[in-house]
Amino acid sequence: MTVEELKALESLNEFRLTDAEEQKAIGIFAFMENEAAELQLTDTENIGVMVHCMPMTNVFRDDVRRQVFSREQLLACAPEHSEDSWIVPRLVK
Amino acid sequence: MDFFAAEIDRTGTVAVDDTILVKGFETRAGSHILDGFTPMFGSDAVERMLAAGFAVRGKSHTGEFGLDIAGETSYHGVCRKSDGTLSSAAAEAVASGTVRQALCVDVNGAPRRAAALSGVDFIKPTYGTVSRYGIIPTACSGEQVGVCAADAAGLTELLSVIAGHDSKDGTSLPTEKYDYSADMDLSGMKVAAVRELYDAADDNVKAALDAFSAKLRKAGASVEFISLPDVKAYATAWQIMLSAEACNNISRYDGVKFGYRTPEYRDIDELYVNSRTEGMGFNVKMNVLYGSDVLSKNKYLSCYDKSLRIRRLASDKMKEVFAEADAVLCPAMSASSLPQYDLADTFERTKKELLFTAVPNLTGIPALVTGGIQLWSAAFGENVLLSIASNTERMAD
Repeated sequence: MTVEELKALESLNEFRLTDAEEQKAIGIFAFMENEAAELQLTDTENIGVMVHCMPMTNVFRDDVRRQVFSREQLLACAPEHSEDSWIVPRLVK
Repeated sequence: MDFFAAEIDRTGTVAVDDTILVKGFETRAGSHILDGFTPMFGSDAVERMLAAGFAVRGKSHTGEFGLDIAGETSYHGVCRKSDGTLSSAAAEAVASGTVRQALCVDVNGAPRRAAALSGVDFIKPTYGTVSRYGIIPTACSGEQVGVCAADAAGLTELLSVIAGHDSKDGTSLPTEKYDYSADMDLSGMKVAAVRELYDAADDNVKAALDAFSAKLRKAGASVEFISLPDVKAYATAWQIMLSAEACNNISRYDGVKFGYRTPEYRDIDELYVNSRTEGMGFNVKMNVLYGSDVLSKNKYLSCYDKSLRIRRLASDKMKEVFAEADAVLCPAMSASSLPQYDLADTFERTKKELLFTAVPNLTGIPALVTGGIQLWSAAFGENVLLSIASNTERMAD
């Protein structure tokens, strides 16, 4: 993992690391690179993927129209809001 | 540090970890990014508990999104035991008698390690037996709500209340109610001790395992060593999967609809980036970065896809083990105490501790910590684990 590759991942995930954190992160990626390399020693040929650890079935139910939460409730946790909307910076300049 | 992020009812006997929603009370999952988030509904586990007459004492501090060793990365600081070493707020609240029980989310084994550090019990039940509706998700395919208590009776009492099918949770299993009351005789029970995990623990933990094995034998059970040669691969597979799942789950925190918003921004991009940069700790960011890396085109097959195949191998291997043994005995962590350390090292240190705890998260089987050691059983084998715990707790040291 290079600093450039790491910065690309930071950008993808929409946060920044400090320079010291980037150096630490590169060391951790190297550590995990070794750990993941050991995975290849485990033979998984002809072994299928297992996404769910327990048997799962899709659950369907009829759609029912109802008011789940009021506008006031939804806005109550907003960091910034007007009377009826979330406030975000202008998207189109 | 006090135990609670929010005090709810001073007469309450149950602590609820800050990753589990309690209607009307601020819930932050130990993170600055969720500052100000007050849920409009409660988790299914808490609603069942309240309906059964239990009261919530408070929201116990947790490590940020449950991704650390034992709760030490909480935005609100570490929880110290009286000797200065670390454990979780929930485990210490139980150990001190402040509450009788606690509900905790087991993402990577942190509540199991904390129970071992604080000398209390914790059970992570079979995946899908307790609803995950209303918990703040980190690694959906393996995390599970569990119970912390001073003894097995406390575990049984609360687990019996919160377990059962919930139509609101797509991962909830169909059984309506589970009976955890069987107090089984240990005579004739077969317990398998994992050689690789025993060897990886320090001398104090080995001594605790030896003492526990002696108790089991005294009660008529047999204890034999077995080998899980791929156990390190199982731990790495769970690290890869939990980071990948955390990366997706944590992407929703952006400072727009709820939680923390940076005061410094000029446009929407700066709002996202500054809110997430200021709102999350290094260990969470590291998990997110690693998760997005293993999901990338170059790593997907060798890391993520490989881990999904190793999950099947691990599941098949554990079925093989439980065809011969009633329970598995192993350490809950590598050492019996957790001194303060540089939190920049949390990712690597937690990965190393996953060796002891990943299998139950990866394969969905139940795990129980008692007397500083850990037990696993086959899926739906909670009665075996609770019986071992209750029987050994009744025996003098």
